[in-house]
Amino acid sequence: MTMTAPASAPDRSPLTPPTAAPARRRRRTTTSRTGWAYASPTAALVLSLFVVPIGIVFFMSGSDWSLLGGNQGTNFPENFTQVLAHRQFWPSVRFTLLYTVIATVLLIGLGLGLALIVQVSSRWSGFLRTAFLLPTALGLASASLLFYALYSPQVGPVSRWLEQLGVTEGVVSILGSPAGALWGTVFLVVWRFAGFYMLLLLVGLQNIPGDVYEAAKLDGAKTWQTFRSITLPLLRPSLALSTIMCVTGSLLAFDQFYILTKGGPDSSTMTVVQLIYNLAFESKRDLGMAAALSVITLLALVAINVFQLRAMRGSSES
Amino acid sequence: MNARTSRLGFRTPYYVLTAGLAIVFLYPLIWTTVSSVSPQPGSAQVEGLGFNNYATLASYQAGLPHYLGNSLAISLVAVGVTLLAATFGGYAFARFSFPGKNALFLVTLSILMVPYATLLIPLTIWLKTLGLNNTLVGVGLVLAVFQLPFATFMMRISFEGVPKEIEEAALMDGCGSFGALRRVLVHAVKPGLITIGLFAFLAAWNDFMVPLFLVGGDNQPLPLALVNMRQQVMGVIDYGSTQAGVVVLTIPCVLLFLLLQRHYVNGFMSGALKG
Amino acid sequence: MLALGLVLAACSGGDDGTGTTGDGSGTGGDAGSGEGVEGEGVDDGTELTMWTRAPLERQATLLVDAYNESHENQVNLEIVPNDDMEGKVGAAAQNGDLPDLLAGDVVRLPYWVDNGLFTDLTDQIEGLANFDDIAVGHVDAGTTPDGARHTLPFVTDVSVMVWNKDLYEQAGLDPEQGPTTMAEFQEQAEAVQALDQDGVSGTYFGGNCGGCLVFTWFPSIWASGDEVISEDGRESLLGGESATALYDVYAALEEGGAIGAGSNEETGATWTAPFSEGKVGVMQYPNTAVYSAIEAGIDVGVAAIPGMDGGTSTFLGGDAIGVSKDSENVDAAWNFLSWLVSEDAQLEVVAKNGEVPALTTLLDNEYAAEDPIALTINSVVENGRTPVAPYFSEAFNASGSPWVSMVRTATFDGGDSVEADNELITEVLDQ
Repeated sequence: MTMTAPASAPDRSPLTPPTAAPARRRRRTTTSRTGWAYASPTAALVLSLFVVPIGIVFFMSGSDWSLLGGNQGTNFPENFTQVLAHRQFWPSVRFTLLYTVIATVLLIGLGLGLALIVQVSSRWSGFLRTAFLLPTALGLASASLLFYALYSPQVGPVSRWLEQLGVTEGVVSILGSPAGALWGTVFLVVWRFAGFYMLLLLVGLQNIPGDVYEAAKLDGAKTWQTFRSITLPLLRPSLALSTIMCVTGSLLAFDQFYILTKGGPDSSTMTVVQLIYNLAFESKRDLGMAAALSVITLLALVAINVFQLRAMRGSSES
Repeated sequence: MNARTSRLGFRTPYYVLTAGLAIVFLYPLIWTTVSSVSPQPGSAQVEGLGFNNYATLASYQAGLPHYLGNSLAISLVAVGVTLLAATFGGYAFARFSFPGKNALFLVTLSILMVPYATLLIPLTIWLKTLGLNNTLVGVGLVLAVFQLPFATFMMRISFEGVPKEIEEAALMDGCGSFGALRRVLVHAVKPGLITIGLFAFLAAWNDFMVPLFLVGGDNQPLPLALVNMRQQVMGVIDYGSTQAGVVVLTIPCVLLFLLLQRHYVNGFMSGALKG
Repeated sequence: MLALGLVLAACSGGDDGTGTTGDGSGTGGDAGSGEGVEGEGVDDGTELTMWTRAPLERQATLLVDAYNESHENQVNLEIVPNDDMEGKVGAAAQNGDLPDLLAGDVVRLPYWVDNGLFTDLTDQIEGLANFDDIAVGHVDAGTTPDGARHTLPFVTDVSVMVWNKDLYEQAGLDPEQGPTTMAEFQEQAEAVQALDQDGVSGTYFGGNCGGCLVFTWFPSIWASGDEVISEDGRESLLGGESATALYDVYAALEEGGAIGAGSNEETGATWTAPFSEGKVGVMQYPNTAVYSAIEAGIDVGVAAIPGMDGGTSTFLGGDAIGVSKDSENVDAAWNFLSWLVSEDAQLEVVAKNGEVPALTTLLDNEYAAEDPIALTINSVVENGRTPVAPYFSEAFNASGSPWVSMVRTATFDGGDSVEADNELITEVLDQ
């Protein structure tokens, strides 16, 4: 019954949620003019503060535009070739993808686990829900500053714990080694966002009708079997939405690395957006190159998201 | 499912595991709060417990109230604009068909896909042209735009989740579509509004990079002052005042969150995020 | 604006800078509110804006407060985060929104000047009565190849060798005698490390911080009689004999475990903190942080940074200041600048607060005479150097710069690629 619901509108992207009311003919009294009138604040904001600046970015990406000197004529396609040839370009792409895979797997996995834990209604799980959601009230920058102190061997406790647990020899700064910097940042991000994904997936869980479980129980299905053959498939739309948000967010990761690692040590945690910032304001001070890398990133993200939507639609139809 | 999980609930390992998780999630917040009043080298609080770090924070440069006022102004603009645009926009996307609807919706969502570090310089140039450079309103507007993808999406599904009958009844009563929106629908989507409002507030209240580039002088908000205060001496981080700053920044967020939590969670539930 | 700057520069070339000058004690104010104000500029109650970076806030505030108290003009100081200074300045430069007075790191400054961010002040600067006494590094950083001058010293920050006297005593070293060669430095660091105290290490450095490494290591190379970059700033000479020997000292210290935990990933944010907490035996240090360490209760020994086999040098760092291209109050801004380098301000504000004065005549001043540490710090200035190169910041300071990679490979990883890495630095310098 509900299992086929996500596939009922193949021409619609999963991001466009199915309407709650079944496909009833919309009354034709709604005029497109009223629609536009309501959409106009959004349109005005998007146009004036997003489309125009993005236009400037595209223009910059074809221009010889230095940070201090401003626009000095066209430089197309050199900006793009220079970015592609930059020694940190491919390492940053590789690292960004690695980070995205790790963060997405952990966040969705943990988010689902937490959602399963808090889905019963009891005072204890109400408390747990609040505890898991509380970190989402912090700004990412504040959270990064907090963890910067937490990880610091001078004031934070974490280095000492790792030493006592025998993970490290002596008091070592967590952000010091490439692996430590990666996992330290991943931990921060999981801490900050797990509650959010828990909430998204909780919504999906709560919409699975109870009688499906009853039926499975009558058939003698084990807990794990129920989870695999009922919960997961019915949760697919929520999982798809979470995954898309998580992948997009992780590919654009910046604040956490900017505050925690600055791309170090040894440029090992240089994400693509960190490289954009670095090209624009630190090393090259070349806004043209930075804009070119932004355009490349934007196109890649659009392609990745189109691919994700296709893949998810395909798998839910099968 | 209740039977399944409540069976789990009676087991001690369940409580041990979940309590452990709760501690992991709460510990950093508690640690920061405690550390901010504890003695630390290189901070204003060198011996014993006390509020010296908060005193440093309160008297830094233009003073804490000044920065808080700026942060508040930026956040109010961002929240107001987000609510307004997303309510009308969500309604339009949910209930009307008009040319360019899908294109506008997709462009709005694509804001999520742009690395915002790149937009900073174009925005400074463009805001100057618009006469909004170095204004709190300008920063609020920009932060609101970054909230639009999530907010519009959320409000669209919230409106779609409202049964058509409610709206039709209102229209029958002689309301125009605006009357129906104002008198009836807004109440039906209240959880969604609270959710996006809270989101917009949290984002605007905590942001430091956008204000850094778009305002200066007397218009700096608290997060920016905090970043400056962190490094007053070459090569030393004042962890104490940083922690105090994180606490001051976080308290309003946590209070607001706890106050609105029920509605906030409902906002997710009531929307047709249902799959 | 840029064109105007060029015209001014062309004019001043023939002027030779011998125009009339203020005598340093005049009443000022109306020295000339028209074109080409020299002397003391205008003090008519103008509101001036000024930017400086966060780590120099203390020094900047002292100066600005002292100026505001004694003048009609009022300077509004805005603090900018250290790491975002370049972006903030760039955005403002594109919009014509730069403040009247702009201070910047001396190694970044040549690039700013090249891009026309500053107003040409050749006549005013060369017209100063005490022009010959002003420390040249900060003036040269703001001088274009055609001789046009733009900047004056704002805050002088030099690197010195510091050691913890208590730890030295415990380690059986002479607490009054710091290292005079880098070999002694190594021995003394190892001796402190041998105390094997919890959290205490022989030495510490910003191992992932290009700016710190430049500031602390270049002096040893200069003191050994070598150069770090070619005169035109387009070739790296960091694969030379004394440079390599310096990396070897640190590689040996690393192998012996005498380098503090955290050095490896120190991005510069906390690089002076361990010493000021009493956790480090001996290290190179910024003079602006020495007093913080003393305030924190450390018994600090101070000496000049030695070369491999003796000699001394220092990195003449800190910030220089000029009037931005966007300023509409050049004459009033000049009033601040001319006051800044006056003997009065340098003695009663800068020297009195233990900082290094920008006037060579004041290095041996009455306040320093009472304070042996200040005297030591001031005495290292005359051997000080400031490297100037257009792409300096990209080659050395930027995160992940080739210089940082080179040092890290040579010290932490025990690698053997100094020559190849040196080539990479040259590639960036000579683009």
